[in-house]
Amino acid sequence: MLIEQIIIFGAISSGVYALLALGFTLIYGVSGVTNLAHGSFYMLGAYMFFVLSSFFDDLFGSGMVSTSILALILAVIFVGIVGILTYRIAIHPIVGDQVAVMVITVCLALVFQQSVLLIFGPTFPPVRWPEGSFLVISTAILGVTVQYSRILAFVVSLGLFSSLLVFITKTKIGKAMRAVSQDREVAMLMGINTERLYMLTMALSAMLAALASILITTSTSMSAGAWMWLYPLALSFSIVILGGLGSIKGSLVGGFIVGYAEQTVAIVVPEGGAIVGVVPLVIMVIVLLSRPKGLFGKRVELEE
Amino acid sequence: MVRRYLRTCYSSFTAHVFDIPPRFMVFLFLIVLLLLPMAELSPYYLSIIIQANVLAIFAVSWDLLVGRTGQISLGHAIFFGIGSYATALLFKYYGLPVWITIPIALLIGSLAAFLLGFPCLRVKGPYLALVTMAFPLIIGTILKWSPLIPIFGGEFGIRGLPAFFSFLPDPTPQVNYQRIAEYYLTLFLLFVSSVIIYKIAKSKTGIVLVSILDDELASKACGINVTKYKLMAFMISGLFGTLAGCVQTHLLHVANPPNFGLTLSFAPVIITFLGGIGTIYGPIVGAFIYLILDKYLLTDLLPKLCEYFNVTLPDEFEYAKLLIFTLIVIILVIKWPRGVAKFATDKLEDLEEARDLDERGPRIWKRYKRKEKN
Repeated sequence: MLIEQIIIFGAISSGVYALLALGFTLIYGVSGVTNLAHGSFYMLGAYMFFVLSSFFDDLFGSGMVSTSILALILAVIFVGIVGILTYRIAIHPIVGDQVAVMVITVCLALVFQQSVLLIFGPTFPPVRWPEGSFLVISTAILGVTVQYSRILAFVVSLGLFSSLLVFITKTKIGKAMRAVSQDREVAMLMGINTERLYMLTMALSAMLAALASILITTSTSMSAGAWMWLYPLALSFSIVILGGLGSIKGSLVGGFIVGYAEQTVAIVVPEGGAIVGVVPLVIMVIVLLSRPKGLFGKRVELEE
Repeated sequence: MVRRYLRTCYSSFTAHVFDIPPRFMVFLFLIVLLLLPMAELSPYYLSIIIQANVLAIFAVSWDLLVGRTGQISLGHAIFFGIGSYATALLFKYYGLPVWITIPIALLIGSLAAFLLGFPCLRVKGPYLALVTMAFPLIIGTILKWSPLIPIFGGEFGIRGLPAFFSFLPDPTPQVNYQRIAEYYLTLFLLFVSSVIIYKIAKSKTGIVLVSILDDELASKACGINVTKYKLMAFMISGLFGTLAGCVQTHLLHVANPPNFGLTLSFAPVIITFLGGIGTIYGPIVGAFIYLILDKYLLTDLLPKLCEYFNVTLPDEFEYAKLLIFTLIVIILVIKWPRGVAKFATDKLEDLEEARDLDERGPRIWKRYKRKEKN
């Protein structure tokens, strides 16, 4: 029973974590920006979904899955636009200076946190699928009761991950992204508009964070909160570093390692719920001690 | 004609009158700080400046590690927290006085820096930044774990620590001798630690550290034991970071998990960026800017101004305060990425150069200006 629980819940959270980490790794791989505001996009996603779904509930009557899905899509697009604006206004002037980028992105995270507090106050709005829809009904897999919303989260995240993999390896924009991540100057010489590509990547990364946020909060029936950005940030950077910064395969494998480890600790260790937060960080430190560039990180030439 | 004459007058005025040697400016700054308690400030203002002193020690130690050695650390709060918890635990379990616990805590802090330096040596760049950011988050969470609450006090931490100057008379509404003594203590510690770090940065060791920042591979090729110097930078930086933590703990009489928090990890980063990274004197300026902006302008002056103009601030202003503060920081960092202090000293150096050119005759000065324009 315990093992089945770990297997199923671990798989579900792993898929979404991989999606969350993919956004972080994409923006680092393409533009070299260590985006510490990634967690804020996660937070904004949950808040926008809450606002839009309650707005649509007022407009069309509550309890419809279709309006919720429309709210989800609009919230994700909104966060993507916010991502583009953030990149254009705040990150673009200092891109290239590692420490300055980190300072600015952390300040941005605080700006988002305080704006949300200013608009919504210190409340914890619930982020849920509509009551009575098929998504909140439970079913049994291997004797473990699982809500359909969790299965939806797992399917959507894995489907999206694989389609993004195809997008990055096959399409023209994806190839441009990989070219820029390999060598920026040569890519510019080949006629790639790097600035536009950076903005596009930022939008994609923010949208992935928002989607992951909505999938996680709705399926675990958590509430949104202005301070919810820190844990996903720690989660995404530990997954990404575990797998290797800029590596897409790494974020998938890292997501699964962290997801399973978290579930194991939460279920096996006494009072484990309180220290679940340190699990990804501890795994990251342990992996980095043996492999300084992560599991799938690029090896730098001319160094030991 | 007149315009040109006026401009010549202005340039020679700025070149000759504003020509203050940096050493004199430091001296002036110190005199002002020393005489500050004479101005009969309210204890609140004095406590702001005490905070600024402590944060300046902390940020200077960060600047040695990051601005001089290039080891990006976003988790400097770990040393702060180790310092505060070490003194607090030594007091709680052994009842030692402050003057013994702080040196022991400093030893523990530099030992911890040595141990943390080893894993951190293997990783570089953003990897290092994110790994160092993880350490204080890990420890801060473990402190709140329920099986450990009897030892570390959980969420509330360890309370009731003694003040530095409890033997002085109790504060009266007119004068608070304890606060003034604490002020001089922190000022002394800031002076000593910044002079030590400045001397290290200017010494041969400091040059080696900067060479590691510039090109690690080349300095390795020159036969420099990079590992040794990096560990040294970690230990010196950790030592002074721990000192800041110890002092803060006894000023506020409490050691709690926020001492390992993200705010404290990023405070030295923001302060150093405000002042000027890699300059050692920049963080001191930055710490004062940081606290004056945060605690004086937004917390004290703005509400008073609003009261004066009969404008009532809404309740949400508490949230807007941090928002305004971070927006100002973002604008300052984008506008002057090398810091306010660095900007000012660059201006002074320009003036010096202009003075040298001025002495050689106005014609060369003009040519110099033209060249600069092109």
